[in-house]
Amino acid sequence: MKPLKVIVATLACCVAATVGATEFQALDRTAAAQVVNPSTHTVPTIVALWSSECVHCKKNLKLFAEMAKADRRFKLVTVAVEPQFAGLAEPLDRLAVPGQRFAYGPESPEALGYALDPKWRGELPRTYFFDGKGGKTALSGVVAEATARSSLGLQSPP
Amino acid sequence: MVSSTLSNATRRAMLAVLGILLVASAGAAEAQQAQHQHGGAAAKAARPELGTSAAFAPDGTLYAVTKDGQHVLLHRSPDEGRSWEAPVTVNADPEQIAAEGENRPKLAFDADGAALVSWTRPLAKRFTGEIRFARAADRRHFTAPLTAHRDRQEITHRFESLAVTGAGKVVLAWIDKRDLELAQTANREYRGAAIYAAISDDGGRSFRPEQKLADHSCECCRIAITGDTDGLPLLMWRHVFEPNERDHALVKLGADGRPGAVTRATFDRWRIDACPHHGPSLAVAPDGTRHAVWFNEKDGEGRVFYGRLKDGRVEGQRALGGEQAAHADIASAGPRVGIVWKEFDGERTRLQAELSGDGGASFSAHTLAATGGASDQPRVIRRGERLFAFWRTENEGMQGYWLE
Repeated sequence: MKPLKVIVATLACCVAATVGATEFQALDRTAAAQVVNPSTHTVPTIVALWSSECVHCKKNLKLFAEMAKADRRFKLVTVAVEPQFAGLAEPLDRLAVPGQRFAYGPESPEALGYALDPKWRGELPRTYFFDGKGGKTALSGVVAEATARSSLGLQSPP
Repeated sequence: MVSSTLSNATRRAMLAVLGILLVASAGAAEAQQAQHQHGGAAAKAARPELGTSAAFAPDGTLYAVTKDGQHVLLHRSPDEGRSWEAPVTVNADPEQIAAEGENRPKLAFDADGAALVSWTRPLAKRFTGEIRFARAADRRHFTAPLTAHRDRQEITHRFESLAVTGAGKVVLAWIDKRDLELAQTANREYRGAAIYAAISDDGGRSFRPEQKLADHSCECCRIAITGDTDGLPLLMWRHVFEPNERDHALVKLGADGRPGAVTRATFDRWRIDACPHHGPSLAVAPDGTRHAVWFNEKDGEGRVFYGRLKDGRVEGQRALGGEQAAHADIASAGPRVGIVWKEFDGERTRLQAELSGDGGASFSAHTLAATGGASDQPRVIRRGERLFAFWRTENEGMQGYWLE
């Protein structure tokens, strides 16, 4: 690679690293229905709902981030159930939570919550586990690693 | 020099990338700055924070308090909510204010008609805050806000509730984590948070030192305060009973402000380590009946319930509305009991009500309004013998509906 291309590529990477960590995708009703649809997930996937006001969410996010780091067989997607604001990414960045990040878009929170799950009543954390074969498990509250693994169909070590 | 070996086009390309990097870095610095200020509610400008409280003054005029940026505003309606006059600023100096979900500025009036306003001021560290209070004898010119608690640690003092009791005392109660912090320092387990309260004997001009009402409250659900038949304050909140049952507890404060025994109010036994963000509401009828509404998961289903709390048990417990019913509020006036809640029907959020004219023996159901956008939790407030539903929505603003 020519020196110029190296410089440009390095700078571009710096840009991506700087802005990518705080990038949220606005969740609309279509995206909400899609992200919780088992047929969307062809590999084991965790969809973790959280908010900046939820004191119990950190435990799950920490666990899922650690699991994702050690086991590349599953995907992690996070959904902040509140609109994006400066600083929303901070809890995710501090725990180095990987994966696609959503935050509520401009539609009403009730409409988005309903599209995610009519059975969900707003309690957090709320997590959806997909085994990648059409299986889906919804759990509210702090989750143990063994429960997460079995819900993903990943009982065997990575 | 590198530049001497580069063509103009190359230099332009590099400058463009450097420009992007600078913009991105500036954005990140801005975000970091905002993060530093963030205390749970900072810099949330994407959508108006709708958390609003309303109350009738002793002369029968309707007022409401809202948040606008870093100010609490007091609004007056000359016509029972059909129109609103230009608001008055409560806190002259800007500060962070929590005003969404279970958090909102609160409003009450003392017997002389002075406006009393409280709010939670989030601090820089996440989940921390202070309970703030201001008073306006003429409902226009507010005193400088005071912090209601002596404890000034940068910890959780949040989710405050405000009430004026029958005896004229001003009660502020909030969720406080000083006991949790102590336990964590000593490496001890501690369930949830605690409920603390401060009482004012002089209409909110000053507050006595706060005292603990109970250990082991849930962390982020609003607290209900109402007056018992003797005028003394009764408080109900979501508690964490052993090992992790998120049911509700009740306590009555004595004339000296000291708490009586904490009793269990509901028995749904929702075992979960989670934040329901769904606090209760309580009303006492003239005959002493304690009417309550609350949210819990029972038999695997999350529902809003109504019931009468009596001698450590619940009478007449039933689910309100459908599966989407949420955030109910309750009030009583003479023989009337009014309940409001909101309920999403798949497209719109409806404001639902139930009204009893016979002390809760029977109720009639009503749909009062609907909105296609975001909405605050609804409230039911009292003026004399009448009950009034109040609801702020993003699209329609602050609206009121007499329950009759």
